[in-house]
Amino acid sequence: MRNKRSATIWTGIALVVVLFFGWLLVRDIGLPGGRALTTLSPQGPKAQEIQNLIIPVFLVAGLVFVLVQVGLVWLVVRFRRHKDDRDGVDEPEQVHGNTKLEIGWTIVPAAVLAVLAVFNVQTTLAMDNADDPLEITVIGNQWWWEYRYDLEGDGVVDIITANDAAIPVGRDIVFKIQSNDVIHSFWIPALAGKMDAVPGRTHQRVMRADEPGIYQGQCTEYCGLSHGVMRMQVTAYEPDDYDTWIEAMTTAPAQPDPDDELAIAGQELFVTQCSFCHQVNGLDPNSSAPFEYSDLPDPDYGASIDIPLASGNAPNMTHFMMRPYMVGGLLPAYEGLSRGGGGDQRTVAEPIPSGTPEENNLKQWLREPESIKPMNPDNNQGMPNYNLTEEQIEQLTAYLLTLK
Amino acid sequence: MAITEQTPLELTTGEDRTSSAGDPMGVFARPRANTGWRSWVNTVDHKKIGIMYGVASFFFFLVAGVEALMIRTQLAVPGSQLLSADLYNQVFTMHGVTMVFMVVMPLAAAFANYLLPLQIGARDVSFPRMNALSLWIWLSGAIFFNTSWFLGGGADGGWFNYAPNASVTFSPGFGIDFYAIGLIIMGIGSTVSAVNLTVTVLNMRAPGMTLMKMPVFTWMMFITQVLLVFALPVITVALLLLSFDRIFDAAFFDASKGGDPFLWQHLFWIFGHPEVYIMVLPAFGIVSEVIPVFSRKPIFGYPFMVGSGIAIGFMGWGVWAHHMFASGMGQMSILAFSLATLFIAVPTGVKVLNWLATMYGGRLRFNTAMLFSVALVGMFTIGGLSGVSHAFAPADTQQTDTYYIVAHFHYVLFGGALLGLFSGMYFWWPKVFGHFLGERLGKWHFWLTLIGFNLTFGPQHILGLQGMMRRTYTYFDDQGFSTWNLVSTIGSYIIAISVLVFMWNMGASYRKHRRERVDPGPDPWDARSLEWMVPSPTPEHNFDETPVVEEFDEFWHRKYGHDENGRLVRIAKTSDVAQTGQNANVHLPSPSYWPLVIAISMPLIGYGLIFNLWWAVPGAILLIAGCYGWVMEPSTDPAGGHHHDDHDPEAGPPDAAVAELAKGEDLETGMSNGTDDGGPESSTTEEAPVG
Repeated sequence: MRNKRSATIWTGIALVVVLFFGWLLVRDIGLPGGRALTTLSPQGPKAQEIQNLIIPVFLVAGLVFVLVQVGLVWLVVRFRRHKDDRDGVDEPEQVHGNTKLEIGWTIVPAAVLAVLAVFNVQTTLAMDNADDPLEITVIGNQWWWEYRYDLEGDGVVDIITANDAAIPVGRDIVFKIQSNDVIHSFWIPALAGKMDAVPGRTHQRVMRADEPGIYQGQCTEYCGLSHGVMRMQVTAYEPDDYDTWIEAMTTAPAQPDPDDELAIAGQELFVTQCSFCHQVNGLDPNSSAPFEYSDLPDPDYGASIDIPLASGNAPNMTHFMMRPYMVGGLLPAYEGLSRGGGGDQRTVAEPIPSGTPEENNLKQWLREPESIKPMNPDNNQGMPNYNLTEEQIEQLTAYLLTLK
Repeated sequence: MAITEQTPLELTTGEDRTSSAGDPMGVFARPRANTGWRSWVNTVDHKKIGIMYGVASFFFFLVAGVEALMIRTQLAVPGSQLLSADLYNQVFTMHGVTMVFMVVMPLAAAFANYLLPLQIGARDVSFPRMNALSLWIWLSGAIFFNTSWFLGGGADGGWFNYAPNASVTFSPGFGIDFYAIGLIIMGIGSTVSAVNLTVTVLNMRAPGMTLMKMPVFTWMMFITQVLLVFALPVITVALLLLSFDRIFDAAFFDASKGGDPFLWQHLFWIFGHPEVYIMVLPAFGIVSEVIPVFSRKPIFGYPFMVGSGIAIGFMGWGVWAHHMFASGMGQMSILAFSLATLFIAVPTGVKVLNWLATMYGGRLRFNTAMLFSVALVGMFTIGGLSGVSHAFAPADTQQTDTYYIVAHFHYVLFGGALLGLFSGMYFWWPKVFGHFLGERLGKWHFWLTLIGFNLTFGPQHILGLQGMMRRTYTYFDDQGFSTWNLVSTIGSYIIAISVLVFMWNMGASYRKHRRERVDPGPDPWDARSLEWMVPSPTPEHNFDETPVVEEFDEFWHRKYGHDENGRLVRIAKTSDVAQTGQNANVHLPSPSYWPLVIAISMPLIGYGLIFNLWWAVPGAILLIAGCYGWVMEPSTDPAGGHHHDDHDPEAGPPDAAVAELAKGEDLETGMSNGTDDGGPESSTTEEAPVG
């Protein structure tokens, strides 16, 4: 038989190569491998259900992949023309088709897909199931995320924070997802699939973390300039730690020590400069000393202050130092943390951070915000560079460190 | 009285038409150049138009390729500062839009223009002047769109340009205005072309060529054109709404004023998903021509190839919202579109298996055209399979907007569309230019493309599943994306080298041709369809006489028959069944510059809409003048020199032809009208209803 031997050899080689490529693709299954955003290492039931759906799909697709590629190599070698083949003499049999075969390879894939489709329907419908859920509102902004907690479900917003959402382990969380400006997408790959945040609409995504830890996320709907660095994270605490966090977040921070001149000056500066966009509960641009904080945030701060931002909102700073990361998750707020978004950070987090603040990150942000995150303040997108003096930066830093 | 082509503006004064024949307005002379650049800008010849589509889209291929290299260079290493986020966002947007609307679509249009009339045995398309209009409008729109680089920066909203990020509030530059108006202009060109080619296939087929005897390429192109006819109006509407939002402060997509960003998404993807098949079906058609020729077997399961193409085209309308599985549109919509998407894999799979079955048992000859086609079968399959994996809606919520999707659609559009188009170039090059593309450089081109392509986009599957998001201008070293991004970038440079090799091949082949003048003959590949009947390069009149078609693969069956054992037997020499191109007695539609005039008016209006409405005035005047001149101009130059059209010896005396015309049965009306002996009643020309 023509080419039979070489066809066998090449088919074998192709099989090895193709299997190797297939393995490269799926070898991350179950392994975070230092990749905080991997989709193949679910840490909660919703992500696990998706994983359970995709693995059989990958298996079937992988089988077809191997058969077609290896089959193609076999065909190519087995039926290649020989140099001494003569046109008009050494001609192949003129086969025009085979109806049975055609019907067969129409029906068989359709049947396989129909079976998989059943699981598809089941999983899709299961995505929204939640048992005694905790609701957290997520609001996308260019280019950071706000979280709002209404703990009693009485319509009063108890906590407004940014970028880092705390959740209790083992409880279903329903994220109510909204947007203040353009479309963003809220995505914590270890816990669930993504869901777009669309202005004028409220969407929901259910997720649950089985283990405490920090779960990284990333905005995945193109939202303009800094889309690529628009991070978020969800921190899952044991229920006790979660309660500690809630307690701290619903208690106004202490006013700066009157002896701390830097912080006192910084507070004054904050009110006159920063509070046109940033809320510290109880303060606004009209506040004057002595300043008083409030336990509750003003959920309509943006509407009452007329913030010069396209999104009408800037991160609430009341419990700034409760957040392990700043600047939309890009910079660590405390020493010893790796930079936001990177690495495998499923480490247990403290409900109240106790480390040494990373002051330099904060100062660099105040000095040159555009050096850390691309923004377009001329078009009311992101934080402008106020050309603060080094003294002002020291004062503001001293004040912001008191917000815990 | 009726305006006819003989009496376009018959005045009651009884003015003698012969004195100003061909100059309907008495101002401009009808272009008559047969050589030089004028013969190109005024041409209405489908072949020259096809070549110009090809040249222009190859230019934009280089532009978009440079943009691709900028993207990959930026992402080669983590934290790169090479491009700013702003510039990066423009570059990836312009890369996508350019590749889709200025490379793959017009490159397919190049093949369609050149080959459809030839494959169905026609002398030209139904509406030759409209064909020129399509080309020039598309080209003016494409140039207009790209001038945004020099007028404040390119579009930065992504090719999908979601509202409200595309609004003036969030994208205050002019880039997205150029996007909206540029695509509207190009869409006009594509719509005109799609109508034209649809009518051509339906009305201009040679005697005996029933629909089910058409070559598969013609079929796939026909389906593509039908999809275009229905898809382009949708995107045009969306773009008009967007322009109104941006230019006239409307609020169709502004939620805060009662608009809905979802409206854009649905409109865009109702166009956008058929668009995917618009881009890939032409390549499927090319492969379905190349594989049988070089396997020396007929295409396996012709009716199933056609049927699956129709099924893809039809089902392609019911899957658009699979781009929106994470958009929050609701579970029932998700389920409906998820299931529809799953089952569109079936007809696509049928195509792949039929190509494999065509090769099975063949005598495969691996020249460059065949290599590209075989590679398409393998590479497109990968794109199809990854596509199935995100047809599962929950899985897609993990995969969408990651590099897994980028990998998927590049395997479909590069591994599918572009490999097929390259294959077609090597296959039909001798037919178009009268010489071969070099095989040795061709193989270099092929292998570099295949390796570079897989190195670039293969790792992106892995990156996507590891969580790397799309449209990101950077990533950080501790995210674990560094290695495969570097591999991907190396791959992209290998692709760039392969394109240089291809360009070198084009130049070297041409120089060799100039030196040696080797005639490839009408049928260099011993091929199957009608275009191989005519000399290479194709004479201006295509066919000396219109072939009468009896079978699918007509030309092949004129060369080969079967013996009693079903074995292939040569029954005629190619030179005996091919045409010589010597018939000078064929009447062809006359050139015209009005298409160009109308096309030039469009970007002027576009600049006016963007910068200052007054600037639109000269454009509008030009547009109206162009339309007026066009209407007044006979489709056939009365002074252009006439011969009786005797291409169809069976047609009988002229009177009989006229009678047949009146019954509307003569598929060749477009070619035979306007002859001296045709009375006014024969002037139901192809152009008349267009005006």
